Amino acid sequence: MNDSRRYTLGGIPPAAFSVRAAVAAMVAAAAFSIGTRTCSAQSVGLPLPRLLTTTPSGGQIGTEVDVTISGEHLEEAADLLFDHSGLTATRKLDAEGKAVPNVYRVKIAADCPSGLYEARVLARLGISSSRVFSVGALPQVVPPSANTRLDAACELPVNSVCSAVLTNKSVDYYVFQARQGQRYLIHCAARGIDSKLDAVLIVADGAGKDLIAERRGGSIDFTATVDGRHLIKVHDLTFKGGPSCFYRLSLRELSASERIPIFPSTQAVNTFSWPPEGVAAVAPLAEIEPNQQPEQAQKIQLPCDLAGTFFPAADVDRYEFLGAKGDVWWIEIASERLGRPTDASVLVQKRTGEGAAEQWVDVAEFNDIPAPIKPSSNGYSYDGPPYDGGSSDLLGKLEIKEDGVYQLRVSDLFGGTRNDERNVYRLCIRKAAPDFALTAWRLHFELRNGDRNAVSKPLALRAGTTVALEVVAMRRDGFDGEIELAMDGLPPGVTAHGFKIPAGQSRGIVIVSADQDASPSWGNVSFTGRATIEGVPRTHPVRMAEMAWPIPDAWGEIPAPRLVRNLPVSVTRWELAPLTISPAEKNVYEATVGSKLTIPLLHTRRSEFSGSVLQLRTFGPGFEQVPRFDVSIPADRSEAVLDLAALKTPPGDYLIAFYGSAVAKYRPGPESPTNMSPPQDTVDIIVSEPINIRVKPAESK
Amino acid sequence: MSFNSEPKLCLPRRTSRAGGAACVRLAARSRVLGLSIVIVSIVGGELVLGARMALASDGEATAAQPPVTPRLISFTNDVLPILTKAGCNAGACHAKAGNGQNGFQLSLLGFEPQDDYVHLVKEGRGRRLFPAAPDQSLLLRKASGRLPHGGGLRLSPDSPGYATLRDWIQQGTANDGDSAPALVALAVDPPRTSLASGQQRQIKAIARYADGSERDVTTLAQYESNDKSMAEVDEAGYAKMLDIPGKVAIMVRFQGKVAVFNASIPLGPKAEISLPVRNFVDELALANLRELGISPSPVCDDATFLRRVTLDIAGRLPTLDEAASFHANNDPRKRERVIDQLLDSPEYADYFANKWTALLKNRRDDVSDITSNFAFYSWVRDGLLANKRYDQFVRELLAASGTVIGNPPVAWYKRVKDPKQQLEDVAQLFLGVRLQCAQCHHHPFERWSQDDYYGMAAFFSQVGRKPTSTRGEELIFHKRGIAGATNVKTGRLLKPAAMSETVPPIAADDDPRLKLADWMNRPENPFFAKALVNRYWKHFLRRGLIEPEDDIRDTNPPTNPELLAALERHFVDSRFDLKALIRVIASSSTYQLSSAPLPSNLADQQNYSRFYPRRLPAEVLLDAIDDLSGARTDFPNLPIGTRAIALPDNSYNNASPFLKVFGRPENESVCECERVQSSSLAQSLHIMNAADIKSKLTTAGGRADRLAKSELPVERRIEELYRAAYSRDPRADELKVALDYLSETRLDAAAKPLDPAAAATENFQDLIWALINTKEFLFNH
Repeated sequence: MNDSRRYTLGGIPPAAFSVRAAVAAMVAAAAFSIGTRTCSAQSVGLPLPRLLTTTPSGGQIGTEVDVTISGEHLEEAADLLFDHSGLTATRKLDAEGKAVPNVYRVKIAADCPSGLYEARVLARLGISSSRVFSVGALPQVVPPSANTRLDAACELPVNSVCSAVLTNKSVDYYVFQARQGQRYLIHCAARGIDSKLDAVLIVADGAGKDLIAERRGGSIDFTATVDGRHLIKVHDLTFKGGPSCFYRLSLRELSASERIPIFPSTQAVNTFSWPPEGVAAVAPLAEIEPNQQPEQAQKIQLPCDLAGTFFPAADVDRYEFLGAKGDVWWIEIASERLGRPTDASVLVQKRTGEGAAEQWVDVAEFNDIPAPIKPSSNGYSYDGPPYDGGSSDLLGKLEIKEDGVYQLRVSDLFGGTRNDERNVYRLCIRKAAPDFALTAWRLHFELRNGDRNAVSKPLALRAGTTVALEVVAMRRDGFDGEIELAMDGLPPGVTAHGFKIPAGQSRGIVIVSADQDASPSWGNVSFTGRATIEGVPRTHPVRMAEMAWPIPDAWGEIPAPRLVRNLPVSVTRWELAPLTISPAEKNVYEATVGSKLTIPLLHTRRSEFSGSVLQLRTFGPGFEQVPRFDVSIPADRSEAVLDLAALKTPPGDYLIAFYGSAVAKYRPGPESPTNMSPPQDTVDIIVSEPINIRVKPAESK
Repeated sequence: MSFNSEPKLCLPRRTSRAGGAACVRLAARSRVLGLSIVIVSIVGGELVLGARMALASDGEATAAQPPVTPRLISFTNDVLPILTKAGCNAGACHAKAGNGQNGFQLSLLGFEPQDDYVHLVKEGRGRRLFPAAPDQSLLLRKASGRLPHGGGLRLSPDSPGYATLRDWIQQGTANDGDSAPALVALAVDPPRTSLASGQQRQIKAIARYADGSERDVTTLAQYESNDKSMAEVDEAGYAKMLDIPGKVAIMVRFQGKVAVFNASIPLGPKAEISLPVRNFVDELALANLRELGISPSPVCDDATFLRRVTLDIAGRLPTLDEAASFHANNDPRKRERVIDQLLDSPEYADYFANKWTALLKNRRDDVSDITSNFAFYSWVRDGLLANKRYDQFVRELLAASGTVIGNPPVAWYKRVKDPKQQLEDVAQLFLGVRLQCAQCHHHPFERWSQDDYYGMAAFFSQVGRKPTSTRGEELIFHKRGIAGATNVKTGRLLKPAAMSETVPPIAADDDPRLKLADWMNRPENPFFAKALVNRYWKHFLRRGLIEPEDDIRDTNPPTNPELLAALERHFVDSRFDLKALIRVIASSSTYQLSSAPLPSNLADQQNYSRFYPRRLPAEVLLDAIDDLSGARTDFPNLPIGTRAIALPDNSYNNASPFLKVFGRPENESVCECERVQSSSLAQSLHIMNAADIKSKLTTAGGRADRLAKSELPVERRIEELYRAAYSRDPRADELKVALDYLSETRLDAAAKPLDPAAAATENFQDLIWALINTKEFLFNH
């Protein structure tokens, strides 16, 4: 690395870059203060675009709304993109026809369904992370900024929604005119729309005296006892505030018999495994109370698909069926994966004796769906991924050993004292229907102090970068086969190499590489897993998971991972990968079983690094046990030696990659206003380009 | 007596080293076929024992003829009580945890006789006892001070206790273990009496044994007054009543059994009382006063009542508008109405949530605790606001499951992790019973055994935990299985039992915590409602009917048992309605009595013949100073205007020296005693000189600033100050003093008159400062 920009990553500025754009970029960065750090502490992860807020956070169907964005590394933000064609955005222009920085006019088509959509920004570093954008039928109100005093309460019309941002250490006040005897539903969407706000909702009388409080993100179902002015107070559980604490407060009239609607919400990571294919949207059967005692058990016939409720407190639901010796049933309950704070448990009991001698004998017990791979604890360092694919729901196999009458005793282990009829569950009992579900996330760091900053990252690739995605499978009903992973729709110059999830295993790795000479572009990618089950090919989507927010300190702030609905991938040349490790030859490296295979590696270095040694480990089924080995970062070449004898690698074709983490001395692109600042030590994962290996059988002597 | 080499049998000695009494010669080749020891009679309170044995010699049965003359000393029933009485097995002496004293260990208060026998007889290579020369036994030489002894002289050589020990040693240090008649009860004579001030009385203690025998153990029992300012008792059980009228109890303990001598000390002859009786509280409180001959003070005036009840229910001073409105109201039921208004106010929920969250240990040890602490506080506060039934509140806490955010009472299980700590906290807080002692040994003052302790622990044995993504937090769930806990002493696995009361079998699928909650809220539960009404009574009347409020036991009887029982009934009948309880207390004449004592009730400290003033709690006082001065205290990361009574946890104590100095608790204990309510020099100095107080007085736009600039007549301005501070108008003399002070010329450091505006501001600041420093302001009275 001899050129004059040796301390700079990349160095190929887009021609369109201008000073004004740089200033706009500074404004954008300043709009959300988490931006690029200039202090000397080590950063985690090279900068990537993150869309953090859209203000307002939604809009009404059939209207246009001006949306201001903020985030990190959104310099030269161009397009605001949504994952639904009913939402389109254009730059807002001022009176002189110039684009207003960071402001877009979003058009919500009249036929756009209500719900949540993923919004992303395409910036010079590529595609940003997602932020939820809400679409609904209610007219939208944007409150004045200073409704933080009782005497400055914002008028909230009945049947409207207010999109607002909470001020730190404050309470937002709203006033509405209630009619005696009228039922109102007040809802504050926050966590479910990507906000950091743990919303507290209080309905008070006209003088501000609290009447009802709801602090668990739920709604208040309120019937006014007097006519006139009533107040709604909104604040955070711990009174935090700021741009990340946005919310949507809705007030609507309900008739006395109307059911409380289900409000759209983002999905937790573990919902990737629900529903199984073929399960109806609405269960054909419903629980019939009372069914608490054995003699009250609801008779069912297997297979069955039933909807029930953990209500009232300490509710127990019993279902009775006839079991035939040799039958094998799979029992699955979804409740937590439906968004409820429950912990379902099923005890299967068989009847013995008759009359007074009747007894119910335990046969099997089911609790929890274990995480396919162990998630990280909250220890000092990561000891697993920070995403939990497991659930407090349950899925298990019941083998009937004897003919007889059986009962399922269904209960909520969290439900001893809670009276909440929203705690529903879905009980499916079926013959084995082997299948799988998949989720994936960008490979996380093994860092100390619970730093999860790096995992809230879009797939915005610098040219020359290779990244790894960790793919996790939840296998259902005994499916044990191999799962092939594939990506379609990658932008030009980007390739994906899907390692299989081997039979019987739950984890696979997909390597995504942007060529060193790839041109800037982006594309929506279809990410799938394929398997042949009982002779029938099955394909399922891989649901991507992201942290809703970059969280520098997960000990101080609860991480909020969620599923995202789309997977855009972009390439930028604004900055290039700090280090590309590639095999010297693109062809297949061949070796004989039991031999040693030496792979020469080329280092293309575009940055200085802190430290001179990169410890590499190996991806690839059967190669994970390759001992760590060191390569010199300043060197232009190195080599990896694989001891196929020690690995006991059988003959076959393999795809592997090496990875490790290195601390680059990062500077932003050369035209960046902060380019002349001292370089920032920034740790990131370095993944080599994938390497094809063929292990040949030993020649017979 | 010498038996030379002849075969012999000595009763009941098990060793053959020493000669002694009660021995009989045996023929050669004799065999003992049977032996029994019987109680022949009780003479003078002492047992006379006889022995009967059957012998066989050469196949021929021979009946031995006892005479067993000296009384056989029982290790269990004679020796141990002496050691206990002498204090040898006190916790600070040889029953000290670890290894006793100098290697000599005894069980606490002799609760483990067999262990004690081993310690005394077997350990120390047998040197502690010397049957051949009993007086040379280490035990007696140490206890009598003939050898240096850290515990000093415990038994004089001429004392009966010494003689009994010597006889026991001389008789061969028999261990009557299981054969000793078990002590089944202890009674006092008389159990209850009325004694005039200064009068003395011998209390007699009688032990009853399983075999039906009785024994006067007056000299062996231990005595303790529950209020030493009311009655003294010496070690022989001789009690003397002092000058304070009321009810006093003297606890009598003997070998794990307790009994109570209750005395009422009337002030004078039965008094005629003509106070308005507003409810059953007055009927029973006044009946007690009548019996004790104590005249109550009159009912307080409206201003005092309004200030008192607002402070007690809402934790704040009445506003000027509230005071004006109250005074202008001629409704004869206006006091009841203001109680209702206060109970409906959010400040009631704030104030009592502050009380409960302290007791429930809502403590910030780590930054990451903030979310769970706020969630927990809010859960308590919202429950109070909605007047959630108390039994439901306790039920939700006890059986909390899930995550803190989903179900905030789970935070209690985050804070209190050890099942033993859980049961101890629950027992102390919700049942008013201190069970801690029973973890290691039988409760010394109560009937609670280790089995009772672990029976309670069993309710918490199925609390399951799972990790969460939140640091320091776990999911709590009911772990399926049969609940049980092992008594660490006996190794027995115990099923759940609620304070020794067995509960129906709990199936593996049932959460035992719910069963405990079921047991608690049964109307006939002897602890649950009692503990709460006593706690709330203390909140309003300063002193619990049982004191301390969380130490309910047979040996600590209430000062007015009828009133306590009636409150308990009312609370149960109201379905554990906390507001109804407060309403009945606060609307009684008893609560509304003047705090000004009469000569005839000056000595009363426990019968509520007048209102007992108490210093405002730290948070209330800080808010009150803010209200009076027109200042504001800002707390870190809380909205401007958050009052001190609404602070969710203890972390704000660090930022407020005021709260620390005035004793705001750190939420480490379930005991209300953690809150320091006593006065101290530091408090006086803080109120007088601390920078935060000064800055409040000088707050721009504060009351002093505003009044100094006001164009109202000075008298009106002074009235405002008095109304804000005391909820009353100034008396004529007070007005004159204030007017005189405000009209004084103020001089600067150079002795030049100050600018009139600045002088007025300073004068009002001084006046507020003076009001803050009065007892009338600092106390609820």
